[in-house]
Amino acid sequence: MFDLLPDRLAWYVGGPILGLLIVGLFAIANQPLGASGAYVQTSGLIRRMPNVVTWRVWYFVGMFVGGVLVTQVLREGAEIRSGYDALRDVFPLWAVVPLVFGGATLLGYGAAVAGGCTSGHGMCGTAQRSPASLTVTATFMATAVLTTLALRIVTGGDL
Amino acid sequence: MKLNLIGLLFGVAFGGVLAASNLHEYDTIHAMLRLDEFDVFWFMASAIAVSAPLLWLLERRRVRTPFGGDLVLSRSKPEKHHVQGGALFGVGWAIAGTCPAPALVMVSSGAVLGLVAIPGIFLGLHLRERQQKSGAHVGDGEHRETVVVPG
Repeated sequence: MFDLLPDRLAWYVGGPILGLLIVGLFAIANQPLGASGAYVQTSGLIRRMPNVVTWRVWYFVGMFVGGVLVTQVLREGAEIRSGYDALRDVFPLWAVVPLVFGGATLLGYGAAVAGGCTSGHGMCGTAQRSPASLTVTATFMATAVLTTLALRIVTGGDL
Repeated sequence: MKLNLIGLLFGVAFGGVLAASNLHEYDTIHAMLRLDEFDVFWFMASAIAVSAPLLWLLERRRVRTPFGGDLVLSRSKPEKHHVQGGALFGVGWAIAGTCPAPALVMVSSGAVLGLVAIPGIFLGLHLRERQQKSGAHVGDGEHRETVVVPG
C-alpha cells in the first residue's frame, strides 16, 4: 500500500532485531522462538488434540500477519505469483509442485526428528550455546549446500 | 491470555523482519545456499551475536521471567537424531528453498506455491509425530520441557 520500506532490509539491521526478539521471548516466557513448534501446536489445535500450547498458535498466526503487514501494507504490495520463478524456468509446473511439496515434507519431517528448525535450533539454540543445536545447524547447513550443488550439477548449471 | 497476545506480537515482529529481509523469497535462500551471497549467513550470525551474550547475562543474573519461571538455558548433548533430522531438514530446505517461518510469509507476499509448501511441512511433522506418539514441544528447538506455560 505504502512504499515505506527499502527493497531489502540490510542484514546488520534485521539480524540484530531478530536477536533482540529471541532475548525478549526468553526474558518474558523462558521459551525459544521456534517456528516448527508453532506448526506442531497449530496442527494439534486443528486436530483437536489435548494440551495445545495456544500462544504458539497465535505465534503461527502472527508470523503470517507480520508478513502481510510488511509485504502488502508497508511495501507497495506484491502481486499474486508462483514464488518459484527460478525453479519454473528450469522445470515444468507439473514437476515444480511435487518438488516443492516433497521438499517441504522432507524438511518438516527432518525438523521433527531434530526437534527444531532454522529458528528453534539454528538461531535460538545456538544462541543458548547448545551443543545439540550447533550439531543440528552445522548438519543442515552442510546438507543444504551439498543438495543445492547437486541440483546445480543435475540441471547442468541452470539452477 | 496475556501470553497469547505476546505470542501474536512476537509472531508479527518475527514474520515482519523475515519479510523485510526477503527471507521468504526462494531466490534469497537459493543464492545463500549456492554460496553466491552471504547476507543470510550474516543475518543469522548477527542475530546470534546479539542474543547469545544477552541470554548468558540474563541466565547468570537468574532472571525470573513473568510466564516461565527462572530463565534457564538448555545445553543438550548432541544425539543421533540431531544429525539425522538436521541432515533431512537441510535436503528439504535446499529443494523447497524455504523453511517453516518463511513459508508463512511467502503466502503473505502473494506467492501461491507457499500454499503447497505449508501443507508439506505439516505433513512432514505429522509423519514423525505418528511414529513417536509424544508430540509435545517437538519443534521448539532447545528448551527444558519442565517449564509449564499456561495459555
